[in-house]
Amino acid sequence: MSKRKIGIRKEVLLLDSPYAIEVKKLSKSFRLPTERSWGLKQAIFNRLRGIKGYKDQKVLRDVSFNVKKGEFLGIVGRNGSGKSTLLKILSGIYYPEKGEITVNGSLVPFIELGVGFNPELTGRENVYLNGALLGFSHKEMDAMYEDIWKFAELEQFQDQKLKNYSSGMQVRLAFSIAIRAKGNILILDEVLAVGDAAFQQKCNEYFASLKGKQTVILVTHSMENVKKFCDRAIMIEDGKIVQDGDPKEVAEKYMELFK
Amino acid sequence: MGIPRVLNKRNRILLGELTKTDFKLRYQGSVLGYLWALLRPLMMFAILYIVFAKLLKFGNDIPHYPVYLLTGTTLWSFFTECTSQGIQAMLVRGDLIRKVSFPKYILVVSATMTAVINLSINLVVVVVFALINGVHPSLSWLLVPFFVLELYVLALGIGFLLGAINVKYRDIMSIWDVCIQALFYAVPIIYPVTMIANTSAIAAKIILLNPIAQVIQDVRYNLITTETITVWNYFQNPVAMIIPIVIVLAVLSVGAVYFRRASKFFAEEI
Repeated sequence: MSKRKIGIRKEVLLLDSPYAIEVKKLSKSFRLPTERSWGLKQAIFNRLRGIKGYKDQKVLRDVSFNVKKGEFLGIVGRNGSGKSTLLKILSGIYYPEKGEITVNGSLVPFIELGVGFNPELTGRENVYLNGALLGFSHKEMDAMYEDIWKFAELEQFQDQKLKNYSSGMQVRLAFSIAIRAKGNILILDEVLAVGDAAFQQKCNEYFASLKGKQTVILVTHSMENVKKFCDRAIMIEDGKIVQDGDPKEVAEKYMELFK
Repeated sequence: MGIPRVLNKRNRILLGELTKTDFKLRYQGSVLGYLWALLRPLMMFAILYIVFAKLLKFGNDIPHYPVYLLTGTTLWSFFTECTSQGIQAMLVRGDLIRKVSFPKYILVVSATMTAVINLSINLVVVVVFALINGVHPSLSWLLVPFFVLELYVLALGIGFLLGAINVKYRDIMSIWDVCIQALFYAVPIIYPVTMIANTSAIAAKIILLNPIAQVIQDVRYNLITTETITVWNYFQNPVAMIIPIVIVLAVLSVGAVYFRRASKFFAEEI
């Protein structure tokens, strides 16, 4: 196993800097197993034969951009273009391979709603667990508890196991917890793509309320949302930024991809 | 990373909440629920007692042999539970690793916490059992927690090291299961060390230097009867006493260093 390179990810708190996030020459590749190299036997076998057993898949190539404080940035691109990888690196889930990332302030990622939700636990227990993942203590959750259920409109299901919730109900509960998170930078990965019309309405109101107050990075396939909420948008294609600027222009360029 | 951040507020909250969840989930859906955790070492004890003490007449020369045996099975259960939960911790919580950024060692620690809680309750059972059996309470009982801590540190080190490798090579858990089977016989749980010492002093010495054996013997010595062979009274050499502790610290350091490096790529590999 050759040693893998690791880039830099810093979390700082600089009040005088105009930027919330700075990304410099970020690259990332994944190691994908070429043949079945899952397991010790195959690993030893591969090594004896001098086979690497994996292939480096470039996902991001030299990506650089800055996000100003208070900016609402949209990131678009087709499936597999590297958007989600970029978000995961910004969130500190993946390590950058090359390049440098500076996060200025506290960052709250929503790669997915309801992380850690467990079907065998009750709604109540899940709320506290999910809250802990967002950094809230039991006491802090107590204070928000009623509001969370009221917003989700699920008060009467608190003590039911989560497996008895419909998927829409789960999403509503998760969203209701997620919006309590406090941070100056929010990262959202397609959380708008779920729920019924009423729920979408709630999401939209929430995003509208964030605009101008917080730094938000939103990954989405909805060009309508890009035009409605974003101050700026970035399009990623094949791991590179191909357009950076006005949301309308980026949305048009994106639509051209599918013509 | 660094020491100051190891137990900051967020990590403490997360550790507490994950421990609670693990505990709730483990015993849900079974009729006797949490009682199972307490019954496991007791039932293991019952079987071993019938086979080895009654049928094969082991330990006739040891005072309070039933308590002696129960102490062994309790500590052994703790060790196996701790290591296997620790090794599997990352796979069990793969969804969290893929979606949130947090220090991964919390997973290993929280996974072993249930075993720690079980052990605390089981040790109370052992003490009650000892009192019923006519063991006299003594101040040396206060030393027991230190040896238990030593065993926990060893289990944690193994959890870190093998748990990190297990993310990539899932065979580790099966290999460890076999190792556990072999270790069970290498540790004086069912047989008294005197039995080995009577045939070969060297073998007894080697067996004793295993930190698991050292801990079990020391706990028995301090809890039940001073007629127990320990590293201390068998070697009569302070250097020998250090060896098991050095092994424990070495396993923990190697485990922690390897885990810290490997954990950077858990999210991609899990």
